[in-house]
Amino acid sequence: MLRKTGKGLFALLLIVLEWTCPGLLSPLRPICDPRVLKHFIQEAQDAEVAMKSCREGCGLSQTVSVPQTTVNYDDWEKKDELEKAQEVQTGLWLLQQALGLLGPSVTDTALNNHIDNNVRNLVSINAVLRSLNFQEYTPPANVTSLDGTWRVSSATELLQVHVNFLRGKVGLLVSGAPACQHNVS
Amino acid sequence: MTCDHLGRLFALFLMFCGAGTAFLVQGSRDFEKKAMMLLREERQNPKCFAGGMKDFTCFWEEDEERAGSLDQYTFTYAYQNENNQTCPLTTMPAEGGKLLFICHLKRLQMFVQMDIKVHREGRMIHNRSLLIELVFLLDPPTNVTVSHTGQQGQLNVTWVPPPLKYKDDSMMYEVIYAPADSHLGQVEVARASSEMILRDLQDSTKYKVQVRVKLDGITFGGYWSAWSEPVFIETLPAEIDPLIVSLTVIISFIVLVLVLVSLLSHYRFLMKKVWPTIPTPDGKFKGLFTVYGGDFQEWLGHTSGGLWFTPAFIYSEECPSPLEVLSELSICPSLPPKASKVSTTTMNKDTKTGLDECRATSQEHWLLDRLRAFQQDPQPCSQPSMLESQDTYVTLSGNRQSEDVEDTLEETLPLEVLFASRKTAMCESHSDLGSVQQSSGSGQLSSQSSFEYTNNVWTPNAPGYTYMAVADSGVSMDYSPMSRVDDIAKGVIYANDYKNEIPAHRRPLLLRQYRNS
Repeated sequence: MLRKTGKGLFALLLIVLEWTCPGLLSPLRPICDPRVLKHFIQEAQDAEVAMKSCREGCGLSQTVSVPQTTVNYDDWEKKDELEKAQEVQTGLWLLQQALGLLGPSVTDTALNNHIDNNVRNLVSINAVLRSLNFQEYTPPANVTSLDGTWRVSSATELLQVHVNFLRGKVGLLVSGAPACQHNVS
Repeated sequence: MTCDHLGRLFALFLMFCGAGTAFLVQGSRDFEKKAMMLLREERQNPKCFAGGMKDFTCFWEEDEERAGSLDQYTFTYAYQNENNQTCPLTTMPAEGGKLLFICHLKRLQMFVQMDIKVHREGRMIHNRSLLIELVFLLDPPTNVTVSHTGQQGQLNVTWVPPPLKYKDDSMMYEVIYAPADSHLGQVEVARASSEMILRDLQDSTKYKVQVRVKLDGITFGGYWSAWSEPVFIETLPAEIDPLIVSLTVIISFIVLVLVLVSLLSHYRFLMKKVWPTIPTPDGKFKGLFTVYGGDFQEWLGHTSGGLWFTPAFIYSEECPSPLEVLSELSICPSLPPKASKVSTTTMNKDTKTGLDECRATSQEHWLLDRLRAFQQDPQPCSQPSMLESQDTYVTLSGNRQSEDVEDTLEETLPLEVLFASRKTAMCESHSDLGSVQQSSGSGQLSSQSSFEYTNNVWTPNAPGYTYMAVADSGVSMDYSPMSRVDDIAKGVIYANDYKNEIPAHRRPLLLRQYRNS
């Protein structure tokens, strides 16, 4: 009976480990298909277009921090992959926070749907970065006061920054990821 | 030595200057081309485009006459959440008396809104907001190469994209191809690829191929580049499909076999039509050519004479029947001398016609009467006295000896012809054999005849014999039908020149043949 109990506990342990540590047992496959990011960018552009046609009930209740979208090609090339990844992940975190604050203040149902899609897409982009072997990075609490952020007060500005950030830094990071360069060559 | 160094340095300087000048000239030409394109496509002012990641140009156009000096204009720009900056301007003359004002920036900020303002003497004349990464105007693809793929109606086009790092996946291309002498071309689009296969092309045709490039607009976007330099190539000539050739050969073979089979099945018929056999008499004259070498006399000597009397196609005339002259009878005893002379003269003159009214009336009646009387009461004609009379009876016996006679005509039946002379004797007379003598003017029948005659009894009732009364006037022979008086009354008298030969013409109406069945 003791042997039977031992066997059962051992099986239970394996199941628990499988639940808690799925990444250790199965490495993610790099997502280098540009159409994936293209899809996220297009949905962000759809939200921006929807916001331009919104007249009422589609404003920010407060000023929010957003990542800077400016990319100087020479400066970007000089940065290493880690710095780029951290900069991108920080910006994604900031956008998640900002869109989270925008949602409740928007009464338009269609626009709300767009915002919800964009929030889910930001989570998916993080998963794509993990698939490209970029180390997961959590920005510090005082990130909003650091350089590299802007303050926006309108939903239009927020969604415009959102689109530009995905097309810019996120796109450059994904297209230039070493994991994807190895697959191409 | 110092002079040499200086000379070399001066030469190198000149070379660099020349190269730089050439580069600038080339760059200027490239800019002119792009400027011309944007002037046609972009409506906003200033017109701006990014040639690369570090090349951004804005310009506007003004009439040279109305344009002011360069220092009157101010080009300012500002990125989002940044301060204004100023761009130094340059000018360039353009076609049609135009002047271009150009701002060129090398340090760019992408993925951020850029606000541009142009002032002339403090007054804003142009205002525009744009994103630099969305106004790319690239150079056309280079090294455009067109080659044959080996298949019919196909060409393989390859090119080198403009040098933009990590931008190959964002580029899209248009390939335009058309026959060299045609103005209408077909366009094919390729995305993130540097080659394309053109299909469904005409054979043996010279094609012109060009390529242009544009960013797809997702991360980077912009305008279509200029078309590359045209490349001309001629497609391969049409090839004969081996399947069609093989099918054609097989079908031709099958048709040929069918024709041969049909010809062979109708071989005999066709040979008869195309190559008819030449009729030869060899089949009918057995052994004439094979045994006797064509010697007919010899062949006759060794064969039976029955062949002479065979089929009717050998002779166009009827088989002659032997004529037996039985007796002679007088023709016209009651005729007046004048009438007889006249009739004789008439006969002499027209012996071939055979028509004489005097003879038709008197002779025929007399003959018929004599013959009827004779038939009713036949005299023993076998008596010599009868035979010695000058009356002549001619008997024609048909050839019954040859059994292979196929002639079924009535002419082959034996004929008995009665010769009647002027003498009134009823009995037959025995006439000598001899040639016929035509005595003209005598009016008397010649007692000479060349017919064979016998002393046999003349039986008019002999089966198969035909009887006819013959009146011989020495000039012509009159044959009178025995059974039909009507014919005699009509004056139908058959007059024949009696020449001891087979008559060439017969007058079947006058010659009555009957059989005693």
